[in-house]
Amino acid sequence: MRVERPAPVAAVRHKAPRPARPAGGPADPESATGMPAVEEAARPLSLTRLLRLARRAAGDLLPPVSALLIAAGVWEAWVRLRDVPDYLVPAPSAVVARMAGDPAFFAREGLITLQGALAGFALGSAVAIALAVVMAHSRFLERSIFPLAILVKVTPIVAIAPLLAIWFGFGLMPKVFIAGLIAFFPVMVNGLLGFRSVNAGALELLQSLAASRLDVFVKLRLPSSLPYLFAAFKVSIPLSVIGAVVAEWFSGDRGLGRVIQVANNNLDLDTAFGAVFSLAILGIGLYLLTAALERRLLFWHESAAGL
Amino acid sequence: MREPSIIETSEHVAIEGLTQVFDRATRPLTALSNVNLRVGRGEFVSVIGPSGCGKSTLLRLIGGLLQPTEGRVDLAGATPAEAQRRKAIGYVFQDPSLLPWRSVIANVTLPLQVNRRRRGEDRRRSPHDLLHLVGLSQFEGYYPRELSGGMQQRVALARALVFEPSLLLMDEPFGALDEITRRAMRYELLRIWQARLPDGQAGDGGSGRKTVVFVTHSIPEAITLSDRVVVMSGSPGTVRAVIDIDLPRPRDEDMETQPAFLDYVVRLRRLLGEG
Repeated sequence: MRVERPAPVAAVRHKAPRPARPAGGPADPESATGMPAVEEAARPLSLTRLLRLARRAAGDLLPPVSALLIAAGVWEAWVRLRDVPDYLVPAPSAVVARMAGDPAFFAREGLITLQGALAGFALGSAVAIALAVVMAHSRFLERSIFPLAILVKVTPIVAIAPLLAIWFGFGLMPKVFIAGLIAFFPVMVNGLLGFRSVNAGALELLQSLAASRLDVFVKLRLPSSLPYLFAAFKVSIPLSVIGAVVAEWFSGDRGLGRVIQVANNNLDLDTAFGAVFSLAILGIGLYLLTAALERRLLFWHESAAGL
Repeated sequence: MREPSIIETSEHVAIEGLTQVFDRATRPLTALSNVNLRVGRGEFVSVIGPSGCGKSTLLRLIGGLLQPTEGRVDLAGATPAEAQRRKAIGYVFQDPSLLPWRSVIANVTLPLQVNRRRRGEDRRRSPHDLLHLVGLSQFEGYYPRELSGGMQQRVALARALVFEPSLLLMDEPFGALDEITRRAMRYELLRIWQARLPDGQAGDGGSGRKTVVFVTHSIPEAITLSDRVVVMSGSPGTVRAVIDIDLPRPRDEDMETQPAFLDYVVRLRRLLGEG
């Protein structure tokens, strides 16, 4: 028997803004001045409009940048006032100077790490989604696969990382393996939840049309799972960078993980922290990219109107 | 071996000895017990009864969303599963169940994109025409969350009609709407149901109307819409009475104040009260 659902809250419907269409316009339908975004886009590029865009960009950047500057300032002051030796903690100014002195070095090594992280993330996510699809369609397979997945999850990466050098040698493979392993679990768990979290009425509608499992998946399960998958991607992507670094630490010949390890051994903390900062830039960049893609694809989801 | 059909040519739905028992952890629940019902082609039948009397279960059995424990459902000589494959069943639920990532027009088009047969074989109506029919032409590009509850339910109705099903199953479609919208939708549905279809498109006896089985717990709604009202009582669900509604069509809001209409209200209220 159908349990009656309460009537949806009317207010939610009425205050919902017109979602930004995938094709265009900024995600925020109303600018700070209350001008509809569509009109703004249509008007020619004038000085006032440029100023307004600049002001908005400044408004977006101001909070994170000022927080970062304050943290760096406190750190710098502490190092200078307490006269902390640079082989224990380097001053942020020294780290930035080191990075500015050889940006090509950090960019090159960073790119190598990024390569491994992205390849691992892609592979780990692909396997996770494939398994989630299979499990979403069969409780039996869910019960069979899930314990194995947990086994993989609880295996301490650090413990098996040295083995990977033996198994796969040095270079890209161990990185892809560990980054993939770390990215795998959140994507699988959320994917499974997402593929199952479909509107019951929409599912019955498709069943009443004798829609195939493939149709139900493509038309209903996959789009329904996107909010869950993106939540997982936002967790997994920075984690896969950590995975790549851990792999480089143990079995890398290149990359930021290797840079940190070598620099630590030489007590060259400016370089080690330079590599850490580079990783932070990588992680933030990947996260923001994922979030931007999410805003594009999930314009229809409640979360788009949640803030 | 296939059982012989139990249906008469003038009939669209034949239900015989339908019993539905749900296995539950505690003890089995008999939702329906020996229900018999026949619905003619182009007939509008409402099923009314208290919450939990098995009305929705009955509808789901007709639509093939559930397999009966006992008894059978015959849809013009076909099983519900066969009717599903032929896209002969249109379903409207209480929750409009629109896909939020699809625009209004794309939601209406959805049924045409699944279970496709060879080209040209599909009966179908233009989604644009249907949105015009339900009065939402200007909202084609909108997304469901931008629409009111009543508008969403109109989209769901257009979606159920786009593949020209001969049978329309409606499970308290207006149950979640406010009273004013609900009354408006009632007459809207009558208008759409009575709108004649182009020749050869309807799967009925020439009246141009679809067969409708409509589940509700509103007495005026059942009387206004139906040719017959099936009154059910609960635990386990059985058919208590079937009332012919002998009111002229087309029906309008004036009819609701006339003695004949009020007589039906009183009769149905009594039948439901006794349950």
